[in-house]
Amino acid sequence: MTGPLAPRRSGLSGRVGPVGLLLTATAAGVGVVLAHLLLGRSDLPPGEVVRVLTGRATAPAYETIVLDYRLPRVLVGLGAGALLAVSGVLVQAVVRNPLAEPSTTGVGAGAALAIVASLVLWPGHQWAYAAAMAGAVSTGVVLYAVGRRSPAVAGVLLGAVLSAVTSLLLVVDSAPIGTVLRWLVGSLNARTPEDWALLWPWLVGVLPVAWLLASRLNVWALGESAAVGLGVRPGPLFAAVLLVAVAGAAAAVAAAGAVAFVGLVAPHVGRLLVGSDHRVLVPVSAALGALLLSLADLVAFSITVHVPGLATDVSGVPVGAVTALLGAPVLISLVRRENRS
Amino acid sequence: MLGLTALCLGEPRLGPGSALTALVDPGHPWHVAVWQVRTPRVVLGALAGAALGVSGLLLQDVLRNPIAGPELLGVSSGAAVVTATVVVLGLGVPVVVLPYAALAGALVAGALVLLAIGRTRAPDHVALVGAAVSAACGGLVVAVVGLGTQGDVVSLFRYLLGSLAARGWTHVEAVAPWLVVGITLAALLSRRVEALTLGDEVAVGLGVPVVRTRVAAVAVAAVLAAAVASVCGPVAFVALLSPHLARRICGSVSTRRVFWSVPVVGAALLMSADLVSRLVLYPVELPVGVATTLVGVPSLVLVLRGRAPELAGSR
Repeated sequence: MTGPLAPRRSGLSGRVGPVGLLLTATAAGVGVVLAHLLLGRSDLPPGEVVRVLTGRATAPAYETIVLDYRLPRVLVGLGAGALLAVSGVLVQAVVRNPLAEPSTTGVGAGAALAIVASLVLWPGHQWAYAAAMAGAVSTGVVLYAVGRRSPAVAGVLLGAVLSAVTSLLLVVDSAPIGTVLRWLVGSLNARTPEDWALLWPWLVGVLPVAWLLASRLNVWALGESAAVGLGVRPGPLFAAVLLVAVAGAAAAVAAAGAVAFVGLVAPHVGRLLVGSDHRVLVPVSAALGALLLSLADLVAFSITVHVPGLATDVSGVPVGAVTALLGAPVLISLVRRENRS
Repeated sequence: MLGLTALCLGEPRLGPGSALTALVDPGHPWHVAVWQVRTPRVVLGALAGAALGVSGLLLQDVLRNPIAGPELLGVSSGAAVVTATVVVLGLGVPVVVLPYAALAGALVAGALVLLAIGRTRAPDHVALVGAAVSAACGGLVVAVVGLGTQGDVVSLFRYLLGSLAARGWTHVEAVAPWLVVGITLAALLSRRVEALTLGDEVAVGLGVPVVRTRVAAVAVAAVLAAAVASVCGPVAFVALLSPHLARRICGSVSTRRVFWSVPVVGAALLMSADLVSRLVLYPVELPVGVATTLVGVPSLVLVLRGRAPELAGSR
């Protein structure tokens, strides 16, 4: 099968070596973090931000704003974005469908539903990650059971059902708007250092394992019979990859909510940049996903709208709204390309 | 029968006899409750369900796709974006004008999806493109909701799931003409649509203008779905499921044979879903869209099971 997933080096990879990519990604990452630290709701002079970072803050309030509000927000955004992107790459590789990702398969919706249900049953608990994991795994199992023939349709329908149940719970429980937006569409508002503390172990757990699976995924992309001939056992590989992908998606949802399309756009752009050798594609996609979600968040909280009838301007939309708007055209262009091949 | 049941149940619970008396006798103590609250809701549910059913039938037959329907073609969500914007930003659009605005949104979203799927008829691709456009519309809606107040958010969430709560005669009057005209136009188109189900070449051979018919049918389907969405919200899966059930009941896939049973099935589906959502968690009322989704998707899967080879799509 030669498709968009067959290993090849293409695009810019001839011109941009791995070192160049690494430098570019690092520079972009530093830029995004700085932008997040410098911009925000409260007016902090840039000089003050620099002083806080070098430990010479003129007032403790400034330290709080920069280190307890802005820094966790950008870190959680970067982490969740990376996890979503890696989850997307893995699923796309193992089911050989470039359109699969947490939001198109319903896995993200499943994780969000499990979290909301657990919060309705036991308010204020601390194990959102475990609930997300359970929800995502069960969704994956259901999808595997009912959607063998047409995974795309099954995923879309399953996602619709799960989102409907989630919104139902939130309506019946009349949750505050922040909660609603956070879980249903994904939002990075009001992240605290605790959120980051919960997320980083998952990054450490998921990203290296995904990278270790990369060379097997390259073999897998040659087709099932070739892979078996080269000594890759399909069953265990399938199980391992899906487990890692589901874990990544669940952690991302627990950290940022059911953000759509990051897991689709980042791997897609990654393939355009470096081709489809997964040893390069996995880290590149992770970096792209992190940047994408964080940049979308910058856009999201910079939007200020003057609403007629309200005295003050309203600012800030949830980041999931931005990624949905950015991601839809990419998904459509991918579908069109699939049609042509 | 369903309508009568809906009139009787709830708080206060009435017998069929007293419900009818209350309906026609202005002096009856429950006259207002029955006539002003329950009756418009029943009528609206029946009309909206019928319209959704016809909308789904047109789209499925004209695109020859078993999972086409306003909910998967972005039509409902496009209408929802406009309605949400009007509600949250308090643009003060009277309820009678709302269907026009919603229709604009529905047509834009539907046109986007149709352009994006191009020539493909693979259900997989249609579903994904529809999901993408719906997600983008959802993103817009959420962005708009995020600008609103807490009160807006709750009512809007109910609306976005589809709800028949607190709808009165004004709502019925606002959409009834749209629905009647839409269903009439659909009936006039049904012969040509049926020719399209036989394949484009056959349709041309029969002297049916293929492209014109397709555009007209999609436009009529959008009119019906948008009118419903403008007052009840994007109620999901009624449109998708009704044609399949009607085909099963009539034992025929011919557009004209099933045409008059589709609105009946759609009306029955939506009314029973509304009844369930009113009573199941009393006194909390569920948005009817949740009931239709939870019932609709499994039924759809069951109905489509037999047609799986077609659904496999191109991979």
